[in-house]
Amino acid sequence: MTTSFPSTHYACPCSDLTSAPPPPSSKRASIQPTSFQVNEEQAFNPHSPRADYTLYPLDHLLFCDECDEIRCPRCWTEEVLYWYCPHCLFEVPSSAVKGDGNRCSRSCYDCPSCTSPLAVTQISQRDEALLRPSDAAGGNETYVLQCHYCDWSTLEINVHFNKPTKITEQLVKQRKSRTSGSKENVSSEKAAITHDDAFANLTNFYEDQLNETVEPQNAYPGSPYSSPANLARIMNIYGGLSHNALKKTREKPQPMREARGHAEGQTSFSANDSDTGIIQRLQSFGWDATTTSEQCLSAPVNNDTRFTDDLWPSATRLRTRRAKRCKSCRHIIARQEPKVGSMRYKIRLLAMNYIPRLSIRPLNPTVTTTNPAFHLRPDMPEQEKLQPHQTKQYVLTIRNPLFETVKITLATPTTTPGKVASRVTILCPSFTVGPAGEVWDEALSASTQSASSDGGRKAAMASLTGSSESSDRQPEAGKIWEKTRNSTSVVVEIIPGSLRPPPSIVPKTEEELADAELKEDDDVLEVPVYVRAEWETEVKPGETVQGRKEVGGMAGEKVRKEVGYWVALGIGRIAG
Amino acid sequence: MSRPTAPVSRRSTKTEYIETDTGNKISRRAYIEGKQNIMLGGKTVIMAGVHLRGDLCRKPEPAAEGEKEKPNTTAISIGRSTVVSTNTTVRPPMRLHKGQMTFIPMRIGDNVFIGPNSHISSASISSHVYVGANCVLSPLCIVKESSKILPNTVVPPGMTVPAGTVVGGKPAKILGEVGDGWGQGGGGEGEEWVEGGDLRALVRSVK
Ligand SMILES: [Zn+2]
Ligand SMILES: [Zn+2]
Ligand SMILES: [Zn+2]
Ligand SMILES: [Zn+2]
Repeated sequence: MTTSFPSTHYACPCSDLTSAPPPPSSKRASIQPTSFQVNEEQAFNPHSPRADYTLYPLDHLLFCDECDEIRCPRCWTEEVLYWYCPHCLFEVPSSAVKGDGNRCSRSCYDCPSCTSPLAVTQISQRDEALLRPSDAAGGNETYVLQCHYCDWSTLEINVHFNKPTKITEQLVKQRKSRTSGSKENVSSEKAAITHDDAFANLTNFYEDQLNETVEPQNAYPGSPYSSPANLARIMNIYGGLSHNALKKTREKPQPMREARGHAEGQTSFSANDSDTGIIQRLQSFGWDATTTSEQCLSAPVNNDTRFTDDLWPSATRLRTRRAKRCKSCRHIIARQEPKVGSMRYKIRLLAMNYIPRLSIRPLNPTVTTTNPAFHLRPDMPEQEKLQPHQTKQYVLTIRNPLFETVKITLATPTTTPGKVASRVTILCPSFTVGPAGEVWDEALSASTQSASSDGGRKAAMASLTGSSESSDRQPEAGKIWEKTRNSTSVVVEIIPGSLRPPPSIVPKTEEELADAELKEDDDVLEVPVYVRAEWETEVKPGETVQGRKEVGGMAGEKVRKEVGYWVALGIGRIAG
Repeated sequence: MSRPTAPVSRRSTKTEYIETDTGNKISRRAYIEGKQNIMLGGKTVIMAGVHLRGDLCRKPEPAAEGEKEKPNTTAISIGRSTVVSTNTTVRPPMRLHKGQMTFIPMRIGDNVFIGPNSHISSASISSHVYVGANCVLSPLCIVKESSKILPNTVVPPGMTVPAGTVVGGKPAKILGEVGDGWGQGGGGEGEEWVEGGDLRALVRSVK
C-alpha cells in the first residue's frame, strides 16, 4: 500500500478481481453513456489482500496495440535478452550461464555477512605479521577480500590470496584443500561429504543415468548427422517410424536407478555426527554467532553453515534484462537494446500513451501540494490526516494521451469497499476530453493559457493575499470543473468514514469483534474508480484491424475503440 | 510550487537563489567550497544548507618550467537540470593512488534528483537517477542511469547500482527494477515532473 498521497494506481483488467462492472443496460449505455453506479460487490476493493498484486503505478504498465488491452506482469511473458553481473556489468553468455550457473565468474563476491560487495584489499606486511606471526610466506604481498560496509574480511575464515587477480580460482583451490583436509581429519567417522561434492556427484550420476536410459548419444556414430535431434528429423522424413518410436519398439525403457553411496552423491543421516561440538560452540558463542537463514541462502557453499565464522564469500548473482511479449498475441510490447547498461528501447508500448491518465488533488489545499516524491526540504509538513464525517472536495483530472477526442465515463461505488466505508460522489461522471497534440502544439497552448488557467498559481495567489477568490466558484453537479485542450477536471466529494464501528445495541459476538478490528493500512482511504474511455479512430491505409473484423477495416473508415480499467485513488489516512 | 518556508520579509529584500548566466540556481544559504573546482551544467539547483566540497580535489601537479600554470582540476561536475535538495552534502571520495590518498573527481549527470539530508560520496551518478531523502551514497559507489535509490538507503562503498534498478535498505540491495515507463509522462499541472524524468519544470518552479 502506498505511503504518500495523493496517489494513483492502475489495475490491469486481466484479473477476476479487476474485471469490468456490468453496465446497467449494455446497449443504451454504449450509445449514450450515462453515469452508472457500481454496487459494492462488483467494485474493485483496493483493500483486498490480493489487490496489491494487481495495482501498478502507470509507468509499470504496458499496452498491446494488437489486442487493444492493458498488459501487466500477469498477462505478458518475459524472455531473457541477456544475463549480466550487477557488479562488474559484464554480459555473461547464456551458454556460460547454463554451464557455470547464475553467478559471476570474475572476481565479484558479496559479503556473506551483509551482502555488500567485497573489495580485493592489500594488507600490509606489518598487519600480516601481527595477525599471523608464524606465516613463513614473508616478502610476498597478501590480499584479502574485504567488506567496506561491515568490515568482514576473508581473514575471518583464514583465507588470503597471493595475487589480486584470479580470485575465483584461488578461492576454489582453498575451498577444495580445506574440505578434503577436513575429510581426512574425521575419516574415522563416516566422512560426511560436503554439499558441493554431493551436488557434483549427484549431477554426474543423473547425467549418466539419463544418457543410459533416455537416448543413446548417437545411434549412428559414422553418420554426418551429429545431433540425435537432426537424425530423428531425417528418419522422420524418410523412414516410416520415428527414431524414438523405433527405439521404443526395440527395447523397453529401464526404470531409472536412484543414487546410492557417497560416490553417487547420496548422503545419509548418522546420529553420531559431531553434534556435541556444535552444541559446545553454541554455548560459548551464543545466538549471535549463528547464521541467519538469509546468510545461509546467500550461496550454496553457505547452505549448511551454522556459524557466522564459517561463512564463505558468495559470488555475485547474475541479473537479467528481459523483453516482454503479449501473452495472447505474442507480439513484443517492450524490448530494450541488447547491451548492458543501455536503457534505450527498440520497442516500448507504454500504457500511459494509450489510456487516459488520472490525477487527484484537493480543491482547496491547506498546504501547497507538490509531487510527494519530490521532497525538497526536511521540514516538509506532515501529511494531514482526513477527518471522519467531514466533506472534502477534490479535483480529479483526466488527461488524454490519444490524438482523438475521448468520451469518459467514470463509475465508483457510493461507499468505498473495505472496513471503513467512506462516501464518494463524482459530481460529473460523464464528459469528453480533447485530443492530445504534438509536443510543439502543447508548448504553444501552455504558454498562451498559463496566465488564465494556471490553477496552481491562482491558488498560491489566493493563499498569499488571503482572498477567497477560488472559493467563489461552487462546484455544481453535472458540470465539469476545468478543461484544457487535452484534459478535463471534475470535482469529487468524499466524506471519510469513521474508524470506529457504529455503536450497536446488540452485543457482538467475538467473531464479529475480531472482524471489525482494524488492521494495518485499513485507515488508508482509497477510492476505486472504474474508467471507461470510448473513441473513434480512422483506419489508416494499410493498417489491419485485428480482432475487430465485425467493424470492418477499410481505410478512412471510422472504428470505435474502448478501454476500461479500475484506478485506485489514494486520498490519505483517516484520523482515528 | 514549493515556496520557501522562510518569512516573507526576508525574501522581499533578497531572493533566496542567485541565478547564474547558464540558469543555475544556487541558494544563498548553500555552503560552497572550492568554487573554482565545481562545474554546473546549467539549470541546476543547489538548495539551502547544501555543502559542495569542491576544495577536496587532486592537487594539481606543479607546472613544469616554462609552462603555464595548469588550469584547475574539477572536483565536482554536475550536469543540467539536476536538483540537490536541502542539507545534502556532496563530498568527492578518496582513493589510494600510487601510494597516496587522492580525491577522485565526482561526476553527476543530467536530470538527477537528490533528496534532502543525504550524503553523496559516490564516484559517479548517471543521468535520470532519483535519490530519495536521507540517503548515504558511500565512497566510490557508482550509480548508473535511470536507477532509483529509495529514501533512507545506505549504498555501501564500491557498490554498483546497475541501470534501471531500484535499491533500498542498509546496506542497499537490489530490490527490483524501475518500470518500462520510468521518467516518461508528466507534463500536466500537479505532475509536471516525474521521478527519473525531465526536471526542467521542477527547476523552473524553484524560486
Ligand atoms: Zn494484466
Ligand atoms: Zn561480476
Ligand atoms: Zn559486509
Ligand atoms: Zn496482444
